[in-house]
Amino acid sequence: SVTEIRSGFNAIKANIQARDPIKTLSILSYPHSLHKFKSSDRCCITHHLFNFYVDKVFKHCKTEDSYVNRKISSIANSFLSVRRKLGQCHEQNQCMCGQESTEKLDQILVNYEGLNVTSAAIKSLGELDILLDWMEKS
Amino acid sequence: EEALLPEPQNISIISTNMKHFLTWTPVIIQGETVRYSVEFQGEYEREYANESWIPICECSLITTTVCNITEDISASVAYNLRVRAAVGARRSEWGTLKGFFNRITTSLTPPLMKVIADGYHLLVELEDMGPAFQFCVLYWKKGQESRMQQKVVKEVSSVVHLDTIEAGPDYCVKAQTYVEAINRSSSFCQTQCVRVPGGTSMWL
Repeated sequence: SVTEIRSGFNAIKANIQARDPIKTLSILSYPHSLHKFKSSDRCCITHHLFNFYVDKVFKHCKTEDSYVNRKISSIANSFLSVRRKLGQCHEQNQCMCGQESTEKLDQILVNYEGLNVTSAAIKSLGELDILLDWMEKS
Repeated sequence: EEALLPEPQNISIISTNMKHFLTWTPVIIQGETVRYSVEFQGEYEREYANESWIPICECSLITTTVCNITEDISASVAYNLRVRAAVGARRSEWGTLKGFFNRITTSLTPPLMKVIADGYHLLVELEDMGPAFQFCVLYWKKGQESRMQQKVVKEVSSVVHLDTIEAGPDYCVKAQTYVEAINRSSSFCQTQCVRVPGGTSMWL
């Protein structure tokens, strides 16, 4: 559940964010915050961002710290579980992507690919609370 | 060349109330202390991370034959578990749990409950079973089961106030747990009934 993702993330947040030296850039919030998006885009953005984390981010976040790796595994497996539930709304076509959200998702990929893969993955993981906050508020 | 250690056998999971333990039969080597190490693999590791395994450091080179895997089984997906034996530098092959384990199969037991009539207040004490647990408490005036009332308790504080009650009749209570993460409930615990002593109405 999202609650479990949040608690898994909180357990390693400081550790992960300390590994991200580039404080002036954001993967999820540049140039616009996620909070700018209407709730009608929620399912689309959530669906695609879950795919982004599962397909691109987690696998490049391995650290030398066994505890951190175990928590990343917890988060990643919880993502699969939540994504399965999201998949149901995606299948029932309640998940249309408007132009704005498509552009936003494209921008996130541009931000991600603008860094080397490990830095981009660690930064994205460190920004997970941005996604969780947006999911809980919208 | 030194003989390979036999791998641990009878690997199984004991999972009750969202607490999960991996157990196995000890490997017996005369005159030696055998140690064990445990690793897990979630659906994510299988599907997206080259089938990698993650060690559980609290269960690395242990001498007991049980490992608490609760912390690592933190999603409702299928997990693989494995354990191997070691004596000095000698290692066994990995013994792997037969089939996957998913926490949705945990067995949920009815909660421990204590019902109290404190003056004209109906109170209930519930067992603290951890943050994953909520409680559904049903209470009614004996003989009026049709007017049963329900209270959902999301966080267990010491005592839960159910209602104010009259002197005389029995008031009955039963409770079950609910785990949102796996969307399942336990069966109800034994019904307990209490009454306010005195038997005269409080309005007299």
